[in-house]
Amino acid sequence: MTVAAAPKAAVRAPHPLRAETVRGFAPFAGAAVTLTLGAMLAASSARWQGGWAETAAEVHGALLISVPLAAAAGCWQGGRERRRGTEELWRTVVRTPLVRFLASALPVALWVAAGYLVTVGLALLATWSCARGDGPRLALLPGDTVTMAAAALTGHVVGRVVPTRLAAPLLAMAGYVVLGTLTAAHSGGASFLNPALPVAATEVPVWWLPWVTTGWTGGLALAAGLAYAARRRVTAVLPLAAAVAAGALLVQTGDGLLHADPLARRQVCDTSVAPAVCVNARYPDLLPQVTSALSGVTGKLEGVRNLPVRWADRAGRPRAHEAQLPMLTPLGWYVVRGRLIEREEFAWEAVQMLSGSDCPPEELTDRVLVADDAVSSYLAPSPLQKEIDRDDAEGDAAQRAQLRERRAARARLAGMGARERREWLSAYFAARGDCGVKGVPSL
Amino acid sequence: MTGPLLYARSRALPLTLAALAGTAAFAVWAAGRLDAYLDPERRVPIVALAPLLASAVIGTSLYSASDELDRTAVRPWWPRRLAQVAGLAALAALLVTPAVLGHADTFGAPSVVRNTLGCTGITAAAAVLLGARLSWLPAFGYVTAVYLGSHGTRWGAASVWAWPMQPGTQPGAWAAAMTAFALGTALYAVRGARPERARG
Repeated sequence: MTVAAAPKAAVRAPHPLRAETVRGFAPFAGAAVTLTLGAMLAASSARWQGGWAETAAEVHGALLISVPLAAAAGCWQGGRERRRGTEELWRTVVRTPLVRFLASALPVALWVAAGYLVTVGLALLATWSCARGDGPRLALLPGDTVTMAAAALTGHVVGRVVPTRLAAPLLAMAGYVVLGTLTAAHSGGASFLNPALPVAATEVPVWWLPWVTTGWTGGLALAAGLAYAARRRVTAVLPLAAAVAAGALLVQTGDGLLHADPLARRQVCDTSVAPAVCVNARYPDLLPQVTSALSGVTGKLEGVRNLPVRWADRAGRPRAHEAQLPMLTPLGWYVVRGRLIEREEFAWEAVQMLSGSDCPPEELTDRVLVADDAVSSYLAPSPLQKEIDRDDAEGDAAQRAQLRERRAARARLAGMGARERREWLSAYFAARGDCGVKGVPSL
Repeated sequence: MTGPLLYARSRALPLTLAALAGTAAFAVWAAGRLDAYLDPERRVPIVALAPLLASAVIGTSLYSASDELDRTAVRPWWPRRLAQVAGLAALAALLVTPAVLGHADTFGAPSVVRNTLGCTGITAAAAVLLGARLSWLPAFGYVTAVYLGSHGTRWGAASVWAWPMQPGTQPGAWAAAMTAFALGTALYAVRGARPERARG
């Protein structure tokens, strides 16, 4: 047997970290995160696509499933040496345990963080294609990405310590249950330690929240890693102290972590029509669509007095002399991917908002109801009106009588001269505006 | 030890049965804390997650430590594999049912049985494609994605693809889950779990 001569110039071996990063389970873990989040975001696209704040809230809320998944992926990687039976072999190498730990743990952490970032990037692109104003909201992204990597690192430690096949799925399920419970809790100090803390589309986080989140989740993961693999385990105290400090800050600040978005309190108005049409400043480019959907109503209301000044669309109740615009948010009802859908129903609801929809219902006599029906039928008939009429026509004698009365009233309002109708509508809105139903003119 | 007993030991079935019992106990405990008598919708976490955990337990039990040796056997493997998957799925479905008694038309026993069978089907198929020990991953990703992504959608195509989140009376969801169960079980019975000796 002959021994082959060693090559003169030894081929430089690739760095172990590189081999671990491009081969094996790590890229697969990143793909699993992207696929899972992508499926979830695609399924729920109607409720976030087109709104920058909604997109940010959705990808942040998605941590509820991606953090347990990242932890499970790390846990799976952590159990690799045990599955392969190479634990003893590794003890013979010259590298320190910490270096060996990092060489197999970091690639998964990087890949799951990258998988999360890629999904967020795709979601932002999807929103950009149909955004209606405002801009990308990336404030939470750094903290969330670090949290993903931290979950994978912590999971890796669990995978090394817990010698069972079920460790990874159990960790995933436990993470999901814990985060879900914290998310559902809404109150109490512990709920603010939740990395997937729910953020509404009308809220913005304080500027330091991502950095404190980084300290909280990253500190815990580093402490776990150092306590497991470092030669001087006491070094784990440092990141642990940072994590405790960050956690204490989160719990102490509590509700102050999120505050109302100042942009959501403003609105953009088209005052060329009466009543003026306003939409929230978060989606100003939606105004032309809303104005056009309401153009039939505003056209018929030209010259009518005693109307509310505008349809308002901001947080809280409408002010005096304002009517509430039918709610455009949450996305997915009237607005889907930047387009106003069901315009007829939208216009009908807007008309209902004009005529004192907040008045106590017990004062609504038959006479008022007939007048309301005639006005809404004239300005913007409900898409359901024909079906309601058909049901009444097939109903008992009382329903048929009511239907006859309603139809007669509609015909009388439609048959008025333009000037007479303006006067009648002015009197009607004057009475309905302050809930004085007695003043509603008869038809 | 005779054949069936030896088979049960080699697939760690005693541990699997204990884990399934633990899953069932956890589901009952969690259901008690959800005050579901106020609103059956509050059971959705149990209906979605308990079957998922049970299917992960079943999936990891499909691992064979002596895969190459198994291949040299004279007897056909498919009846044993089929009996293992179908039996464990039936047992798991039976065990998680007590957590969600009543409200059969919304989120009760039928929905949790359907989810157990469907999740087991996905897990069994994943055991063939990925290996038994990682077989929990696709079902976990799918169910949690549907859980967050489809809240409240109950019509059209969503009643099929979002089957883990549908009420127990939805025929489309049943069809999807039973298809997954039939395909996954058949695939596993024919092919067996993917050999894992050489890889991590």
